[in-house]
Amino acid sequence: MSSEIQPSAAANAPQGIDVGRLEKELAANWRNAGDGAESSVTRVCVLNLIIYAAPGEDRAKMDELLDVVTEHAPGRTLVLIADRGAAEARLEAHVSTRCQTASRGAAKQVCGEQVTIEAGGAAVDTAASAIEPLVVPDVPVFLWWKDIPHEEDKLFNRLVELSDRVVIDSLVFDRPHEDLKRLAQIIGARRQYMLASDLNWGRLTSWRNLIASFWDVADYRPHLDAIDEVLVEYDPPDVASGQIAAHALLLVGWLAAELKWQPTGDFVREENNSRWVLLSGERKINVEFRPAADRQGCDGLIATLTLKTSATGAEFYVGINEGWTKLETSARIGDARAVGRVVSYEAKSEGERLSRELSMLSRDEVYERAVASVGQLIEALQKS
Amino acid sequence: MENPLRAGVRLERTAEPCVVVIFGATGDLTKRKLVPALYRLVQERLVPAEFAIVGAARTELSSEEFRANMKEAVAQFSEAKTVDEEVWESFAQGLHYLKVDIGTSADYVNLVAKLDQIDRERGTQGNRVFYLSTAPTLYAEAVRQLGQSGLAKPKEGQKGWVRVIIEKPFGSDLASAQALNRDIHQHLDESQIYRIDHYLGKETVQNLLVFRFANGIYEPLWNRQYIDHVQITNAETVGVEGRGGYYEKAGVVRDMLQNHVFQVLSLVAMEPPASLNSESVRDEKIKAMTAVRPFTPERIRAECVRGQYGAGSINGKQVPGYREEEGVAPDSATETFAMLTMYFDNWRWSGVPFYIRSGKRLAKRVTEIAIQFKDAPHKLFGSEMMEQMTPNQLIIRVQPDEGITMRVAAKVPGQVTRIRDVNMDFRYGASFGVQLAEAYERLLLDCILGDPTLYARTDMTERGWEIVMPILEEWASTKAEAPFPNYEAGTWGPQATHDLLEQAGRRWRRP
Repeated sequence: MSSEIQPSAAANAPQGIDVGRLEKELAANWRNAGDGAESSVTRVCVLNLIIYAAPGEDRAKMDELLDVVTEHAPGRTLVLIADRGAAEARLEAHVSTRCQTASRGAAKQVCGEQVTIEAGGAAVDTAASAIEPLVVPDVPVFLWWKDIPHEEDKLFNRLVELSDRVVIDSLVFDRPHEDLKRLAQIIGARRQYMLASDLNWGRLTSWRNLIASFWDVADYRPHLDAIDEVLVEYDPPDVASGQIAAHALLLVGWLAAELKWQPTGDFVREENNSRWVLLSGERKINVEFRPAADRQGCDGLIATLTLKTSATGAEFYVGINEGWTKLETSARIGDARAVGRVVSYEAKSEGERLSRELSMLSRDEVYERAVASVGQLIEALQKS
Repeated sequence: MENPLRAGVRLERTAEPCVVVIFGATGDLTKRKLVPALYRLVQERLVPAEFAIVGAARTELSSEEFRANMKEAVAQFSEAKTVDEEVWESFAQGLHYLKVDIGTSADYVNLVAKLDQIDRERGTQGNRVFYLSTAPTLYAEAVRQLGQSGLAKPKEGQKGWVRVIIEKPFGSDLASAQALNRDIHQHLDESQIYRIDHYLGKETVQNLLVFRFANGIYEPLWNRQYIDHVQITNAETVGVEGRGGYYEKAGVVRDMLQNHVFQVLSLVAMEPPASLNSESVRDEKIKAMTAVRPFTPERIRAECVRGQYGAGSINGKQVPGYREEEGVAPDSATETFAMLTMYFDNWRWSGVPFYIRSGKRLAKRVTEIAIQFKDAPHKLFGSEMMEQMTPNQLIIRVQPDEGITMRVAAKVPGQVTRIRDVNMDFRYGASFGVQLAEAYERLLLDCILGDPTLYARTDMTERGWEIVMPILEEWASTKAEAPFPNYEAGTWGPQATHDLLEQAGRRWRRP
């Protein structure tokens, strides 16, 4: 795989950017790419990706990530680097093309294009109006908001309106309880026009798949309605070690939403462990969140999940190995039978994970229900 | 009972617990395709933990030896070319071997016991897929033995299911295909029979349905009013690869045309199905094939071409002629190339020729469908400007480099009006950047899930034979006249195929 960035002269105007000139610059880049390339170049545009990032963003890391995204979903990337604290209003833009040789040895290079907009001070709030005319028509618009979303943020709201789908990453939430509760409110209030994706939810897909697969087996199905003990072990996030990781909360939020478990307001906190009691009809479900003693190194991620039924003596377990590369499952029904397996954990890079989100266009109702459920649980926790 | 945790857009469809029994487990297909595909299904978490494989064949082998062989096969033939030790260990726990002679009833008693044991130990719940990857002459016997040993149906009182996958070739002519269907229907319902055609597992073939019926703009053009003709090319660069003995009895019409190519053809020609359920889709396919104009001896002589390759070169390498291949008679009259001109006598396609060619040792390995549209009705830009032009073409590439290309006319920038063809290209690799699943993975998973849409139904297999029988008979009766060899290896087949199109004012696309 090879990548190539061809920056061009920047259009620079503090009061705005010259969109026409940027488009010409991009067209010139394409001509140049076609003339000089040893292999032929294919321009592909399947989407627009708007990225909002802070000035401290590691550009090299972002370039690496966008190389992967171009390989999976080439299109126009509009990177907005927003320096909200700058004293002076500033708006600058430059263009580049990003080419990838398909990894299976194809001779053609697949190329996308990029416009990088640097905004500072008061210009940040109006940057959306500079982005809108640069959006390629007739293909979907994704917004990757590389920050914690706030409902009162004017730029966030404007970019959400411009986009078909908003991607966030709740792994970076520095106050997972409050941030997830706020996210639930944002999603609830914008349900009519905002579709949401969460990279952290994507990290749960393998887990959810394995957990769900226990009850694809008809013999196990009755045990699902008898679960009364849940243990989640996780590597506490460095940024908020006093709070339960968003990854763990989303998993329990998913179980609670899909299995109709309701919060009771009964919460106990002992040192680092938290115990919550949920209710399904008459059945009490004890949910324990516990920092994993022996699984560190994957900040904020789940290490094990155990689901037990005291009435039927069943235990279902999914856990990740110490190297965070394999998932192990086991199902045990009393002493009758135990079946287990080891499968690869989908260790996707951030670029691959983002690309996966960019392939989705429909509403992720299950995610939205999980976040709403977490919002309710946190609210009950805060009231108790 | 419904599984409430299965809801949601992200969770892939996963299968029920089951055991896959592979008859012919020591054969090439098992190691090259089947076990690597099943390993990947496990790795991708598309089958549950309650899953097992039993390899069955005549060879004396222990399960340990079979596991070791299969591990080597996965390392060699899987797309990733690696085996993850921990995942393999877990996979191998469900991998067994049993010596089974297809014709020996006692061996099925052992197989029943083995499967019962696996059900108890791994919770596979009596669900079975039997994959017949044996010599075609053993298909009927294997199904008969399954029937007699009680394995062709779920156990009494159990909810499980039994499905049987049958590899190609399905018969060697119409009579043998009908006899085979009769034999297997004595023990299996049609709903249990999965006749595999791996072409239907290919992403681009499946995309044909999406392309035609999910886009509003193509279907109105997809008929005799706008389409001049259709070309389907199925070209291989390989020769008979040590299978001379088999190929001598088969030939390209039996080996490729009446199954793979006809499946693709039916997807191009079919009417829109009312729904995507397997019966609706397969009903429309057979309806289209029923409209194929029968081949008469006159039509065969005038509109079909047979060929056999002589020595030549492929990719710069000298290759022998067919008659010099191992297991091939020095005066063989077996066709390694065939071109048919087909017509569908129905409202949609009346008068539109479908030119179909398939052959070995051709210039390039490619399978594609080219839809050639009619010329623009009025030559507005004058013949000089237009003379370089070809009519609009839509090319659907099945393999390699899967994708779709639309060829349109565009003005060359400049002060004068000059017109040139340009391609609007869609490539899977470029637009989706994902590794396409192996056809066998998709088809095996479909069978485990109970979805036969991409498998051939009884009527389709028999119709394929009905269409080609007059050709096989005519060519068999005129063997002595076959001017073989009549094309050089590394070319696009006999000159007669080019002449035939030229007479009609058309020409073959160079893929």
